[in-house]
This record gives sequence, structure tokens and C-alpha cells, in this order.
Amino acid sequence: MSSASTVRRQFFDLWEYYMSKKKIRVLIAKPGLDGHETGAKIIARALMEAGMEIIYTGARQTPEMIVRTAIEEDVDVLGLSILSGAHKELCSRIIKLFEDEGIINFPIIVGGIIPDVDVPACKKMGVLEVFGPGTTTSRVADYIKGLAAKTS
Amino acid sequence: MYDPKFLEELRKSFSDWETGTLKDRLAAVKENRAEFTSGSGDLITERIYTPLDAGDTDFQKDIGFPGQYPFTRGIDPVGYRAFHSPLGFYAGYGSGESANKRYRQLYAAGSRDIGLAFDLPTQLGMDSDDPLAAGEVGKVGLAVDTAADLERALKGIPLTGFKTGTVGNCIGPWALAIFLVVCERSKLQPSQIGIRIQNDPFKEYTGRGTYIFNPSVAVDLASDVVEYMYKNVPSWEPQWSCTTTMRWGGCTASQEVGFGIANLLCYAEAAMEKGVNPEDFIPRVDLHMSSDNDLFEEVAKFRAVRRLWAKIASPRFNTRDPRVLALRLSTYTAGDKLTAQEPLNNVIRSTMHVLASMLAGIDHITTAAYDEALALPTFQSTRLASLTKHILNNECCIGNTVDPLAGSYYIESLTNEMEEKGRYWFDQVQDMGGARAAIDNGFYLKEMAKGRYRYQREIESGQRQVIGVNKFVQDEKISIPLFKGDEKGEAKQVARLNKARAKRNKTRLKSSLDALARTAESKAKGSTVNIVPSILEAVRADATEGEIFGVLRNVFGQYRPPSVF
Repeated sequence: MSSASTVRRQFFDLWEYYMSKKKIRVLIAKPGLDGHETGAKIIARALMEAGMEIIYTGARQTPEMIVRTAIEEDVDVLGLSILSGAHKELCSRIIKLFEDEGIINFPIIVGGIIPDVDVPACKKMGVLEVFGPGTTTSRVADYIKGLAAKTS
Repeated sequence: MYDPKFLEELRKSFSDWETGTLKDRLAAVKENRAEFTSGSGDLITERIYTPLDAGDTDFQKDIGFPGQYPFTRGIDPVGYRAFHSPLGFYAGYGSGESANKRYRQLYAAGSRDIGLAFDLPTQLGMDSDDPLAAGEVGKVGLAVDTAADLERALKGIPLTGFKTGTVGNCIGPWALAIFLVVCERSKLQPSQIGIRIQNDPFKEYTGRGTYIFNPSVAVDLASDVVEYMYKNVPSWEPQWSCTTTMRWGGCTASQEVGFGIANLLCYAEAAMEKGVNPEDFIPRVDLHMSSDNDLFEEVAKFRAVRRLWAKIASPRFNTRDPRVLALRLSTYTAGDKLTAQEPLNNVIRSTMHVLASMLAGIDHITTAAYDEALALPTFQSTRLASLTKHILNNECCIGNTVDPLAGSYYIESLTNEMEEKGRYWFDQVQDMGGARAAIDNGFYLKEMAKGRYRYQREIESGQRQVIGVNKFVQDEKISIPLFKGDEKGEAKQVARLNKARAKRNKTRLKSSLDALARTAESKAKGSTVNIVPSILEAVRADATEGEIFGVLRNVFGQYRPPSVF
């Protein structure tokens, strides 16, 4: 075996290794005016400890700011934390903005206080999953890993 | 407190008990946990408490009498024996009409004390048609853009003898101004009505997140409210210093003690700079704390915070004046401990939270409604919440004696420990430059994130058991009637706002906003001029809240917090 092909072989091994280890990138965002950040921060930290790369926007973000960050940061999943009751307005606005950018079905999950009766409406507009109070952080982590496995 | 000889003998019998009776029992049973900790995780809880644990407590010096230094037993010598707390509520949603309907309902049910919940745009100094407000108008409270909105919300309620106010924290000067204008327009002397404004900006950097300006500007504006009220409407209550959201965000009980005192001290000093002395300030403010799960830890916390405040404030303000050293406490029961699963279980939790407050002689208690983890509370759940303390007081005789747990070896020992740990956290904050610094450098946020993450981990690992969440979990969902908001409120409010804007005297409006800008600019240059009169003029000229805070944002800028998780 020539040394050039050995180098190439090593390079591909490294490349494959890197790709398999590529971290899932998640944007945790709080749209709207509510500033109760506890839930968002717990999830951010738990996902980080589950091996993902986390970008946290902080509170009081407009849908425009969130969509721009998601695109610029090239994240795999967007997690929205909403407690104010404005979930229907905010989710539909964010999905619309993605569509305006030509991105259909961007993976979005939502956590917070979302009444059961509103969950079907959220899913219908394109939210993949809604995690209510009492959800364990590991369930969310597993869900995201499952998503990433499906899409990669 | 005890004779050394007695303690010596006790030590011996304690050791006999441990090596005899206890050892035998432990050979037969296993305790549920290797180590028992208090609810907030602050303290190790011993198997039993004896005079050995509270041995250095001095009755005269550390416990004493209610209404006297160090106020461990409360600031009122008669406590709940003279309990006339009205049926108090905190409510509001939608635009003026829907909130008004709820307020009238509460008034008709006997309430004379209704705190007004404002929606998020209102708490943030934004108008209802601000692009950021879309979808949030009237959601978590009442939408207020102009004084007329407040008038509409209170319409038909006899205001004389009525008590109301708002928990708006970063909008204090404007909140004061709209209440003053409502009084003017309804020809009411301000002294005929009781107004309480939370006006506690620190709460927003550490909890709910409705901060607007940086902490120094925010404290300056808040203390303008204190100064203005002191000089013009001394019967109103200008501020409460609140630790509830810090606790819910992850602080332990002793951190609540230490951080709460540090925050209140900062406000007291800001008031002093404006010429309001502690003896005029402290009696008008509350330290507002969470009343949480561990009954005994909470009772100890309340007793300890009163004692520690007295001990810290005395040398700080060089006084023995009981008006300064007696710290008035109020509580909100721990909303964060209420679960969305099996919501009726929350009635039991809240009852215990209220009991903790009552056993510690808390002056003003607000009870979270059992459906709060799911939606805004309904009328019925709010009423049930508010009745809790009255049932405990009238039927369960909780208030018959003042500070009923005093002298318990456990409670006195916990109170001592809580004071000591509270002092530790207070010193930490003082060493870094006080409460403003602890916000600026992210210290509070870091401590909270640490605590909350630990709590979540404990639940997920099963180390901490919560009924219905990770123990005795029931698959079948229990459904309760939930509150439905005012879906059309936003559009209605925006339309009304546009109409109100069109109707105004443009010259008067402009000159009032220009004058406000000049006041703000001179404040930014270090002047001690009070902002309230300028805001009051603008409110009289029907400037909207967004216009007023627009002027202030132009001068003071918008704060961005450190991202800590």
C-alpha cells in the first residue's frame, strides 16, 4: 500500500469519526415577552450534558430573531419554551418565517405550559412535539437524538 | 439557656438512647434514606432534637417577645388574634371589560383587596400594538395603555376604602402615575384608597424577566416612587422586596434569607439617598417571600429572616428604632411546587404552604390557585385559594397563640442554622458590592441555575419524590375546568388604543413628552430630580405607556442580561 493511500485512508477514518461524533446542535429559544427562564435553562443544561451543542437565545426574542439565529447557527433542532399562553400565535409565526426562507418542516419542539386542547393545533401547524410540565429532561434528550438519527 | 450540669447529664442519656433503644430499632428497620435533608436541601435534618441542639439559644436575646427586638416571634404582639385580613385576590386578563367583570365578581363576593395583574406588554412599558406584543395582549393580565384603561377596569367598584395595586416592577413610576390620575379623574383623595406597588426591579433580573433598564437606572427610578409617595401620598405602599421568584428559580431557603436582606438593604439605602429615612421607609415595605414545602424549614426561615434583619439593620442604620428593625413579611405560596399532574393535589400543597406562613405569623399571605400550573386560575380556584387562610384561622385555631412553635428544640435549632447560613449568603453579596453587583455579575443567576438543576436531577433520579410526578403516578389524566381567556381582547385593545391616540391634544402631549425627555436626560447626567411628576404630566396628557417608556428607553437604553445556565 502506497503511503499516499495510507494518508488518504487515515483522512477518511478521521472524517468518518468526526461525522459520527458531530454534535447535534440545538437552539433553545424563548419567543415572546415572558421571562420565566427556569425551564429553558434546565433543558439547555441537560441537553448539553447529554452531549449536544446548545445555543440559548435568552428571553424576549422575536420570531424573526429566532429564525435568523436558527439559520445562521445552522442548528438541527429548534426548541421553544413558552409559558405565556401565546404559543399558537408564536409557533405559527415562526413556522411561517421559516417557510418564507424556503425551509419547510424545520424540526421544532415546544416546552412549557401548553393546554392539552391546544396540542393538536400546534402539531397541525408543524410543531413536531409538545413537552408539558413534568417531562423529564432525558425524555427530551432521547427524543432529539431520535430525530437526529432519522434525519441524518 | 440551660444549666451546664443538666446538659452534661443529657449528653449521657442521649448517648445511652443511641446505643440502646435506637440501635435495637435500627437493627430491625431500615430508614427510608441514609440522610434526611430539609426541603430546600439547605440543612441536614437530625433524627431527633433535644436541648443539646438549641442549647446556646438564649430566650431573652434570641427568642423574646413578639413586637420586640429581635422580632423572631413576629412584629405584632397579638399576631393573628387580631387578624382582619380581607379576602385578597390577584387577578386580571384581557382588555378592560373582561377584567372588570372579574373584579366586580370578586368585589361582590366580599373582596376589598384586589391586586391587578398586568399583561406582559404592560409590565414591559410597551403599547398593545407594539410588534413584540403580538399574541401577548391581555394574556397573563390586564392590558393597560393609558389611564383610561385602568378606569375602565375598575369601573363600578366603590374605590373608597378599597385596596389595590400592581406587581409591575420596572414600571413603578408610571404605575404610580396612572393610579394618581384615576384618583384625580374620579375626584378621590389618594388617602381614601390604598395603593400598593411592587416596584421591585431586582425581581425581574432574577425571575420573571420583565426588566427594562440596567439595574442602577432601575433602582433609581424605583426609589423615585418611594420618594414621591413619601412626600405626597404617604399612606400608599411604595415597594416590596421580593424573593419568591428567586426561590422558585432555584435558591435555597437560606439564600432567600441572605439575598432578600441584601436586596431590601439596597432599596433602603437608595431611599435614604432620596431623603427618605429608614424609619419612614421600612414600615411601608414588605419583604415578600415564598412559602414552600418543608413546613418546619419555612417557619424557621421566616423567624430567622426577621431576627437577622434586626441584627443587620441595627448597626447599619445605627438605631434601635423598632420601626426600622421590625421587618414586615408577606408571602406567596410556592407556585413552583404545584404540579400539572393531578392538579387537585395542589390544594393540599398550598394548604401546607399557608400553614407554614401562619405558624410564622406572616402579615400578608397570598395563596397560589391549584390550577396555576395549567392556566390562569378560574374564579372558583382563586376563591378556594383565598379562603385557605381563613379556614385555617377561623376553624383550625392556628392563630390562637402567637409563634406557637417557639421553644421547640427542632424549630429553634433550625432557626439558628437558618440565620447563620442566611448571614453567610448576605455577606457574600455584600463582599461583591451588594445586590446590584450580584445581578450585574450573574451571581444570583448562577446560584439559581445551580439549585434548579440540582432539584430537577433529584426528581429524575428519584432521590426526591413528588406524588403524581414520579411516585404513585397515575396514567389516566384528571381533567379540571380550565380558565378560557378573552380571545378577542387583543384586537379590541389595539383598536381602542388607536382611537385614544387620535383624540388627544397634540400640543399638550408633545410638550409633556419633551419635558419628560429633559428630566430623563438630566437624571442620566446625575441629577437627583424625581421622574414621577414628569410622567404624571404625560399620563394626564393621555400619553400611552409605550410613548412614555419610549422616551425613557431613548435616554437610558435597554438592558441585556448575562446568559447563565
